[in-house]
Amino acid sequence: MNQFLLRQGSSDELQIFSHIVEFALKRNSSIHLNSFTASSSDCIRFYYVLDGKFEWFIQQEHYILYPSDLAIILPGQTFGSEKGYLDIGTLCWLHLEFEVTSSKIKAEHNKWSSISPAETGTIKKILALNNMPVISRFREAGPVFQNLRSELYSQQLGYSTRVNQLLDELLIMVTRLLTKQNNSQRDFPQAFLKLENTLRRNLSHQWTVEEMAALVGLGSTAFTEKVKSFTGFSPLNYLINIRISEAIKLLKRHDVNVTSIALETGFYSSQHFSTTFKKLTGYTPSQFRKINLSSNLL
Amino acid sequence: MMNTKTNCIITIELGTNAVRVHAFDLDGNTIASMKGSYPTFHSQPDYSEQDPEQVFITMLYVLKNLLTEKIHPKKYKVVCICFSASMHSVLAIDKKGVPLGNAITWADNRGKKEAQELNRSALAKKFYQATGTPIHPMSPLIKIKWMKAHSKETFIQTSKFLSIKTYIIQQLTGEYMIDYSLASATGLMNIHTMKWESDALAYAGINSDRLPALVPVFSSPGQLKKEYQTLLGLAYGTKILIGSSDGCLATIGSGVWNKDEAVITIEDSGAVRVIGNKPLKDAKRRIFNYILTENCFISGGPTNNGGVVFEWFAKQFGDFSGPFDLEFSMESLINEASKAEAGSDGLLFLPYLLGERAPIWNPNAKGMYFGLNIKHERQHFIRSTIEGILYEIYSIGKLLGEYRSIKNLSVHGSFASLPFCTQLIADIYNKPVSLRKTADSVASGAFLLSATEMGIYGNLAEAVKTVVLPDQYFPKKQQHAVYMKYFKIFERLSTKLADEFEDISNLQ
Repeated sequence: MNQFLLRQGSSDELQIFSHIVEFALKRNSSIHLNSFTASSSDCIRFYYVLDGKFEWFIQQEHYILYPSDLAIILPGQTFGSEKGYLDIGTLCWLHLEFEVTSSKIKAEHNKWSSISPAETGTIKKILALNNMPVISRFREAGPVFQNLRSELYSQQLGYSTRVNQLLDELLIMVTRLLTKQNNSQRDFPQAFLKLENTLRRNLSHQWTVEEMAALVGLGSTAFTEKVKSFTGFSPLNYLINIRISEAIKLLKRHDVNVTSIALETGFYSSQHFSTTFKKLTGYTPSQFRKINLSSNLL
Repeated sequence: MMNTKTNCIITIELGTNAVRVHAFDLDGNTIASMKGSYPTFHSQPDYSEQDPEQVFITMLYVLKNLLTEKIHPKKYKVVCICFSASMHSVLAIDKKGVPLGNAITWADNRGKKEAQELNRSALAKKFYQATGTPIHPMSPLIKIKWMKAHSKETFIQTSKFLSIKTYIIQQLTGEYMIDYSLASATGLMNIHTMKWESDALAYAGINSDRLPALVPVFSSPGQLKKEYQTLLGLAYGTKILIGSSDGCLATIGSGVWNKDEAVITIEDSGAVRVIGNKPLKDAKRRIFNYILTENCFISGGPTNNGGVVFEWFAKQFGDFSGPFDLEFSMESLINEASKAEAGSDGLLFLPYLLGERAPIWNPNAKGMYFGLNIKHERQHFIRSTIEGILYEIYSIGKLLGEYRSIKNLSVHGSFASLPFCTQLIADIYNKPVSLRKTADSVASGAFLLSATEMGIYGNLAEAVKTVVLPDQYFPKKQQHAVYMKYFKIFERLSTKLADEFEDISNLQ
């Protein structure tokens, strides 16, 4: 591929793709000081190495990328080279408008995509929770970038559909690979423990089975079956277990009110919390708190 | 007849990874069972913790589901609920009874240094003789000592140190108590006087007010709190039995009662146990002696490296038909292993991936393949891995053989009950092996205890005799001879490499 640079606002090719902020390929044959210092952006940024060796810092962590490696930099994350310049080699990048951190799914971000809003939410969740921003030996990404470029330049029949499909394909591939990379597909107890820790750290989130399944790299049916045989519970009932255990701990402290506990542990409302808690423990949250805080051993 | 209810007994096992609830009719037939798992957290290497509230809520949830789905609709009347639990757990609670953090499980090794120091002191022999518990970081004695030194604030705030089972039962009934079986595995109770051992308490830095009340396994903590009676649909008067430990109950649940019998358990970890009316006093302090009832001791040795080692092997080297299909992977590995000759043509495996307890009691021990030559193939590695795990099990049996002449073996547990493994156990031990596949041995033991307490059986001996062990495996003499040649080398390597184990541990 030859070098190119497409930029929103100045390149006509991107006019109908307002979500593509920048798309480029660069052959860097000389070093320019201060040409590549750490920066952050509102876009999700993909950097794909075609040739050479690049040393980068993503969120203050050091990574070395070789050909076929892809770096994924989320909105707001810092990215750049420690030395301040771009290493010699060839790379391709894509900056895409794609809100990741907000848990609400904004329809406007989806307009171009044919991934369902629920699945987009799952992709965002997985990207936001991921802490390994580099996918190694990701050869399948090469053709996606190549096709993206040729669709944008040739503008043949149906190109706008094809461009958006390629973006969807990239997002899907990246998300799937990240979950596979983060979980050995051999050790379910390990993968499940990791999931449990993630759930506990984000307990106020309204987790769906699809999201949990995607995090361990399984489809929802296989995931549900696996969880059922491993834990004895369906995924959502297992989640309720965790929510109630955390709630019990908070109820045994003086300093948090019941409504905050309900929301912190992921219930829609204090009513929902109260009903579920009573169903499982036989006590309403307030009764439970009363008997536990009044008892005294000494 | 329409309204007569059939009586049933519920057993609740608070295990290492899961709670298992079984329902039995009064003849000991299983009516229903359900499990619910909870995770073990390893926030640091050597740490192994569980969330007590999660254990509690999981237990309650599973119990409720079993009762409402399988027991109440069939008009059973629950007459007794009996508890069992894993040994050695410690949960600190404050003066209001609120847990100060997570419970520490048996697998936690944070007290390694404390255990090593105590083992080198003159107190070790005294404590072992009094408490029957080997000096090891698994024991609450060492865990509390560790807390006093390294977690001072929690230690001071702690009004009581409980076992997980004590906590769960207190939540349900309001009483803080611990049965002799679990207490005899704490390293804090004198197994001859059935009292907390003052010297051990002094070493840990506590007095007996900070421990729950000691009671026999047939004791009841009283009634369920009213709210739980309503929630679970259980009548006032449903007997709650404190019960015993998983190890003690698995022994009787496997039908072992005579001095010439031993029971082998291999799940993730494993143990070999015998039963008797006196503790086995091992000068090298390698054997545990836990109490089932007064004058009934369960003695034996535990291993860290059971099925978990074979699972490790399968995860690294097995074939997977789909994601997470470990069962398929293990099954095909065993098929491959059976293609190699007994003894794996001289390839030996030391299974000490997690350090080892009995009989070598060396937390630094490591795994190793030994004797590798150019002719060894994949199937030899698979077979030698399984053989190594079972040589370790045999080395515990051999140690017990110094005190007892064992004629019959009973085996249970997910790994030991794989037919390939059961046959190998028979061959290596050169003894007939009975296998009980049908029911969970711990639950069966809890049933026998409950039924004895209710007067269905005159005593435990009578109860244990009712256990039927249908499957027998007989040893093959020729194979036994082969295994014994290799076992000699296995045994020597296990102790000979102590220095190298320590050196490599320091580097890892």
